[in-house]
Amino acid sequence: MTDLIRPVVTDNNRGFWEGAAAGELRVQRCLACDHLRYPLAPWCPVCLDERWEWQALSGRGTVLSKLVFHQSYHPAWKDRLPYNVVLVQLEEGPRMISNVLPLTGEDFAVGDAVEVAFDPEGEVTIPRFRVAG
Amino acid sequence: MSWDKAAITGVGTSRMGKFPGVTSNQLAKEAFVNALGDAGIPKDEIDGLITMPGTTSPEGAKHYLALGELLGINPRIAWSISMGGATVGTLVTQAALAIEAGMASTVAVVFGDAAKTGGSRFGAAAGDDDSWGIWGMFGNAANSAIAASRHMAVYGTTSEQLGWVGVTMRKHAALNPNAIMREPFTIEDHQNSRMIVDPLHLLDCCLISDGAVAIIVTSPERARDNATHPVRIMGMGQAHSLQKLEKEDWWYMPHQREAIFDAYRMAGVGPTDIDVAQLYDNFTISVLLWLEHAGFVKPGEAGPFVEGGERITLGGELPVNTAGGNLSESYMQGWLHVVEGVRQMRGECGPRQVPGAEVTLVTGRGMTLNTSAALVLGR
Ligand SMILES: [Zn+2]
Repeated sequence: MTDLIRPVVTDNNRGFWEGAAAGELRVQRCLACDHLRYPLAPWCPVCLDERWEWQALSGRGTVLSKLVFHQSYHPAWKDRLPYNVVLVQLEEGPRMISNVLPLTGEDFAVGDAVEVAFDPEGEVTIPRFRVAG
Repeated sequence: MSWDKAAITGVGTSRMGKFPGVTSNQLAKEAFVNALGDAGIPKDEIDGLITMPGTTSPEGAKHYLALGELLGINPRIAWSISMGGATVGTLVTQAALAIEAGMASTVAVVFGDAAKTGGSRFGAAAGDDDSWGIWGMFGNAANSAIAASRHMAVYGTTSEQLGWVGVTMRKHAALNPNAIMREPFTIEDHQNSRMIVDPLHLLDCCLISDGAVAIIVTSPERARDNATHPVRIMGMGQAHSLQKLEKEDWWYMPHQREAIFDAYRMAGVGPTDIDVAQLYDNFTISVLLWLEHAGFVKPGEAGPFVEGGERITLGGELPVNTAGGNLSESYMQGWLHVVEGVRQMRGECGPRQVPGAEVTLVTGRGMTLNTSAALVLGR
C-alpha cells in the first residue's frame, strides 16, 4: 500500500497516537471545564482554556452512521474498496470518524454497539472499532 | 412586511457543460455580459463586484481582483468569499446590504468554474493534523452519505425515496433547454446505478460542470426604472454549524432551519406562502433535509413526501428545482437556483413555469455540512 495517509504529529495529537500504540483510546480533557474534546485541538472550543490533559476512554460506543465506499478518492484506499466508514458516538461523549473491522465488513448496522480495536498499519496504530460482544 | 431594500434586476448564465481550453473567467465574462443585457444596463453602472472563486480558479480570495481587471471594473465595493453552496445566498445578501447602506448602487455577483474540464472531484478529506483520510473518509458524497445513512436509520427513509428526488429533477430538466442532462430515468435506473458511497448511488449525485452565473442586484428605486421585471429580495438568512464532530446533530444540519426561518421572518412569510422552491441539491438527501428544515414537512417526514414525485413536481404541492437543479441542470453550486427563482418570479419559465407563482425560497448549503444561506424572493 503506497501513499498511506498519516497523522501530522504535533503536541496536540502525539498522546492520541502514542495511546493507540499502547492500546488506549485517549481524548483531551479541558482542565478548566472538564469538556472531553475530539477532534484534538490546541484549546477547548467550549471555554477556550489552553490547559488540558489526556484522558483514556472506555472505547465503547455506538454506530451513528454507516457508509460503504465504492468510489476511490485516494490511491492509498483504491485497493481496499469497498470499505466501510462509520461515525461513532463514544460512551463518554465525543464522536469520531472511523472504521469497523474488517474494513470490508458490511454486516453491521446503525445503532450497533462497538468497541475500539487497535489496528497496526505500518508504523502507526490506528484506532478502529469492532462490533461489540 | 417584507424587507425589499434591494432587488435582482438581471441574471445571466454562460454555456454549461464541458469546454476544454475555456477558463472559468472566460465563462464568468459570458455570464456577466448576459446579466448586463438582461438587466438592460451598461457596464459602467456596476459599482460593486463580489465573487466566488471557482474550484479551479488559481486566485482564491483574490478572485475579485483578477476578474475586476479582466472586466474593466473599478468598483466601490469588491471581495470574494468561499462558503461552497451557501456562497451565492451570502453574496446576494452582502450586495443587498451594501446597497441598503448606500455603499454601492448596482452590484454584480459573479461565479465561474471550469470544474469539469479541470478535473475537480470534490474528494478532499476534512480534518486537520488527523486527516479523515486516515480512516478513508473523503469527499462531498460521503459527507451527505452520513446524513442519508442516519436519516434512513432514524426515520426509515429509503433509497427509493431518495431516487424520486433524482427522477423528478431530471423530469424538470427535460423541460429546460439549458439543462445538461435531459434524458429521463426511472427508479429502477436509480437503483441500478452504481454505488458511490453507500447509501448514495451515482444517480443521487449532482453533476460536475463548467459554467458561470452572474446576478445584478440594485436598489428598488433603480429597479423601478428598469426595462425587465425586477424581483424583490424579501428576506435573507444565514446560519452555520462551523463545528462538525463536536456538534451532536451536525449530520442533520439544523442550522439550515435557522437560516430559512430568519429569511421567512424578514420576508414576513411562512412555509405555506412559498409557491415554488429552489433547494440546494448536491445530493438527493439534501432536498429531504431542506423540506424538513423549511417547515414544509415535519422532521423525518420528507421521505414519504417525495415518494412518487407528485408533490415536488409541477402541479404538485411544492414544485422543487423546476430547472433541474444541481442534479440535472448543471452543477453551479446553487447559483442557478437563484437564476431559476428569479425567472419563476418573472413568469418566464414556459413549460416549467409554476402558474401565478409570487414567492420563492432559494437555499444553499456548503463545505463539510457547515454553511447555509436562504433567500426569499418575490414578484
Ligand atoms: Zn473548557
